[in-house]
Amino acid sequence: MVSNDFDKRLRDRLEGVTETAPDVWEGISKGLERRRRQVIFRRFSVAVAAAAAVVALALLVFRGPRTEGEVTAPVQIAGTEQPVVTPAEIPDEPAPSETPDIAPIQQQIAAFTKKQAVAVAQKPAVTETPVEETPAVEGPAEETPVAETPVVEQPAVEQPAVDAPSLLTEDDLPADYWEEESRPHRTHTSQISILSNLTTVSSDGDLLYIPSAMHASSQSGKGQASSQVEPITATNAPKFYVPLTVGLQVEFPITERFSVGTGLNYSYLVSQYDMLVDKVMYEGAYNQLHYLGIPVTLSYHFVQTPHVGVYASASAAAEKCVSQRYVYGSNTLNEKVGGLQWSAKAGVGVEYWFIPRMGLYFDPSLVYFFDNKQPFSIRTQQPLQANFEIGLRFKI
Amino acid sequence: MYEQYASRMYPVCVRYLGREDAKDVLQEGFLTVFDKIGSYKGEGSFEGWMRKIFINASLMQLRKSDVLRRTEDIEQAPETGGTVENGVLEQIGTRELLDQIGSLPAGLRSVFNLFVVEGYSHAEVGKLLGITEQSSRSQLSRARTLLQEKIKKLYNGKQ
Repeated sequence: MVSNDFDKRLRDRLEGVTETAPDVWEGISKGLERRRRQVIFRRFSVAVAAAAAVVALALLVFRGPRTEGEVTAPVQIAGTEQPVVTPAEIPDEPAPSETPDIAPIQQQIAAFTKKQAVAVAQKPAVTETPVEETPAVEGPAEETPVAETPVVEQPAVEQPAVDAPSLLTEDDLPADYWEEESRPHRTHTSQISILSNLTTVSSDGDLLYIPSAMHASSQSGKGQASSQVEPITATNAPKFYVPLTVGLQVEFPITERFSVGTGLNYSYLVSQYDMLVDKVMYEGAYNQLHYLGIPVTLSYHFVQTPHVGVYASASAAAEKCVSQRYVYGSNTLNEKVGGLQWSAKAGVGVEYWFIPRMGLYFDPSLVYFFDNKQPFSIRTQQPLQANFEIGLRFKI
Repeated sequence: MYEQYASRMYPVCVRYLGREDAKDVLQEGFLTVFDKIGSYKGEGSFEGWMRKIFINASLMQLRKSDVLRRTEDIEQAPETGGTVENGVLEQIGTRELLDQIGSLPAGLRSVFNLFVVEGYSHAEVGKLLGITEQSSRSQLSRARTLLQEKIKKLYNGKQ
């Protein structure tokens, strides 16, 4: 009763008490500026990811429709415009005996272009040449004055294309060259990828206190010293370094547009914060985590051209922490970590095949790391992260 | 906001930490307030919400210095003692009162502030400080006795 009375009187005395505070506004201003920069960096990273996704979607939406058998690549590759010429401008074709068995591809392309020009010119509805000026439509082809046309009038004729077999048809062209262009969708093939990841991080996690329960998995290992290491920070901003992931993945088509992939990834995470070890405070100590993970990915390929691919993918991954090391002062301490880190990822990727069997890809995505009682890291403090994966792909 | 609340939050920090460390925590607490102000839902008073942030920041500072685990000072404090008579408490200035509370051993000071001033239950105090409910009760008793002795001593010194 007496105690309660004392408590009440004391509480009344302290109720709403004020006292002139020391001026700490300058320190607050600096701290706010520092945090503002962190927020800007984080938003910039998210904006970059969003822009990449928009570009990928734009490629998907604005790509032109293609029909079966349509061939456009030869004209584009030859670097020539669709000719509006009359057959009179077309030079003589060499005798078959003078033609080499296999002409260089540029010559074949030029010859094919010329052949298309002839076809266009012979259609009255297409050509603008008056009928009376195009004897080809009035008589047999061998009677046209094509032979008299000076070669110099047509720049393309200056090329050794005259040696090319002008009788080539679309079917005569190298099958593996035109195959992908002539199809509306490229059938994706098995691939192997070498990848690296960068992930956005922020460092404003509210690390108030990491109780020993967070290290329960560690204690199931050696049981050494894990109870001695209690990460504590005096601020709300432990420092996280950008996580790095490298890996190897293989991907197999399961339908024309779907594919599945798996592989092996290695991730390296570093955190820096103040740490208590045997009741001694180590400021700026490091915690290093090494993970090996196996992802399983399902991809849907929206766009499949010979050079560009756009796809959406969703994946799940299980990662095992194979090493955890504390570095404080001149000391190091290794701990075992049990359990698995599970994560889910979704994103849109773009791949560019600069040669038929090798390409680059960029795969921005969002990844969520589930709470699996893993050691303190950016993954536990910021489970949802923007992820930027780039890599090389090889068709196998 | 800083000008309006700094003079109200500073005594909170002094109660938990003493004057030496209160300045740093005042700064850190305001940074957290500005950072998390969007999470204030309008439930309860804004000052009460701010007060929790400063209490939390103060407790973090205590954990950092690991003083909450030191039991030597706590064990030396008497469990029972004389009580402060009516009128004595009123003769002590607010600033002196804050200093007397701030001079208690960290563990006792934390339990006393959380239970007596903030109104937390022993279960809640135990959870916040990582101690048992029974330990919270015991430390409160010691803190109350020690504080009353300090107040009586201060009062007698004035006479």
